[in-house]
Amino acid sequence: MSANVKQAAAPKPRPNQLGLKGWVYAGRYSIERYLYILHRLSGLGLIAYLLLHIVETGQRLAGEAAWTGLMAMFEAPLFKVLEYVVFAGFIFHGLNGIRLHFTELGFFLGKPAQPIYPYRSSVKRHRPFTFVLMGLAALLLILGASSFFFS
Amino acid sequence: MTSSSTRTITFRIQRYDPDKDTAPHWDTRQLAVSEGMTVLEALHELKHEQDPTLAWRSSCRMGICGSCGMFINDKPQLACQTQVLHLGTEVVSVAPLPNYPNVKDLVPDLEPLFHKHAAVKPQLIPAGNLADEVPTGEFLQSPEQREEFGQFSICIKCGLCMSACPTLATDLDFLGPQPLAQAYRYTADSRDAGLHERLEHIDALHGPFQCHLAGACTDACPKGVDPAMGIQLLKRTLTLDALGLRRARPAPQIVPLPTEFKPSEKIPQPPPRTAK
Amino acid sequence: MRETRLWFLSLTCTSLIIVLLGLHFAIMHYAPVFTGQTIEEARSFQVMLERGRDVAQFVVYILFLAAALYHGLYSLRGIIIELPVARGRARLVGRGLLLIGLVFFAYGTYVTWWTFATK
Repeated sequence: MSANVKQAAAPKPRPNQLGLKGWVYAGRYSIERYLYILHRLSGLGLIAYLLLHIVETGQRLAGEAAWTGLMAMFEAPLFKVLEYVVFAGFIFHGLNGIRLHFTELGFFLGKPAQPIYPYRSSVKRHRPFTFVLMGLAALLLILGASSFFFS
Repeated sequence: MTSSSTRTITFRIQRYDPDKDTAPHWDTRQLAVSEGMTVLEALHELKHEQDPTLAWRSSCRMGICGSCGMFINDKPQLACQTQVLHLGTEVVSVAPLPNYPNVKDLVPDLEPLFHKHAAVKPQLIPAGNLADEVPTGEFLQSPEQREEFGQFSICIKCGLCMSACPTLATDLDFLGPQPLAQAYRYTADSRDAGLHERLEHIDALHGPFQCHLAGACTDACPKGVDPAMGIQLLKRTLTLDALGLRRARPAPQIVPLPTEFKPSEKIPQPPPRTAK
Repeated sequence: MRETRLWFLSLTCTSLIIVLLGLHFAIMHYAPVFTGQTIEEARSFQVMLERGRDVAQFVVYILFLAAALYHGLYSLRGIIIELPVARGRARLVGRGLLLIGLVFFAYGTYVTWWTFATK
């Protein structure tokens, strides 16, 4: 090749990240990915609630009148609904968290083995555990709803 | 390759020419697809008959080299292992693997995968007193010991898991399912004693604890490696080690190489050399 | 083993939270079942102070606060460092969240102590 011929530098590949869409879109992946999305959303809701709740319970320092006024405000229907949403968030986050607590320490996943067809992945193998916990969550949510709204 | 069951399928292919384009765009093409035709075969047909500028990477066309990973109908799949009609849609979208830079058309730049893989030291690191320059003998390993990591050793480095991972969608520094599963593959190997040599990356901020068990990597893996299991087992190993509860593994037995070779009498002698 | 220990501590806190939050729910929402009071009574100022003067309640609330704040903010750190905007700023994120956690813990502990000590 002639020394006078300059070779053009290869163009830099363009970035191609999925971004936040990769967090929220679970498409045709299995249910565990949907549970990951819900766990993240409920977790964000719960930490926001925790910080607000610490501030709210601190209002007792302002005296009995302020406290009673605050509690009266929370009797409004909107707050009852929001309270149930927090309850629901905790139930889901807690029970899915129990699943993660065990599986992230390697329990209920089975042992590594040559994946001979039809191979059930570790994700599928702990699915019965997932269903039991989610069934329990559904039950607690229904009982909770009856207690919150119909008692 | 025609059969009685041909259907016309619309292919939406993401195109990007770095010399001409500033952003990717979609090309729509129709193709008569017969039963059994894979997406890779369809791409070859499209390139041959309709658009010779279409670019992608492929090699073995039988699901073992890992070159043809693409984002097909929004899921990372090997093009050679995906039959068009089995996708069940009239329109098939084909895009380059996400979470990697895009070189051109359907070609991803897999350098991030290789770089992160190399970072976890994917080689056997025997215990100090056994790490001779030239091995004097063979490390013995039982079938049970082999089973403990064997599943993770069949990884073909296709990179589909990295595209499927939700953490990697936003976090460029996250190691990802493939390097973490390979870190476990070597740490779990009875011949390895290198857990602490790998800690710089696997006990780090963007290490295994940024995995939240979405399980998409295992879903996407075409070889059944189950990287999600590898990562959780790695977390278990790290936790046991941090708590001082990791069971000390006996050093592998070394069988010295035989110095004299006596072939069995049942083996016939080779014929005389004919080459000069 | 720093990251491993931080993560395992968060996991330990979740076990504590499940138990303590369950108790907290029982006392606050099922007061009629467990203490014979109505929910409105259980949340009234005087009953709340009365409850807070118990030593066990005092200790449990501090532990609960610490566990919940640690688990919540550690997990939030995990989410924030996955974002592109936090790239190269991990230490800032970690220290910022630690500061927020300490501030809220100090405030919550003070309120709990005030309840315990008020006559």
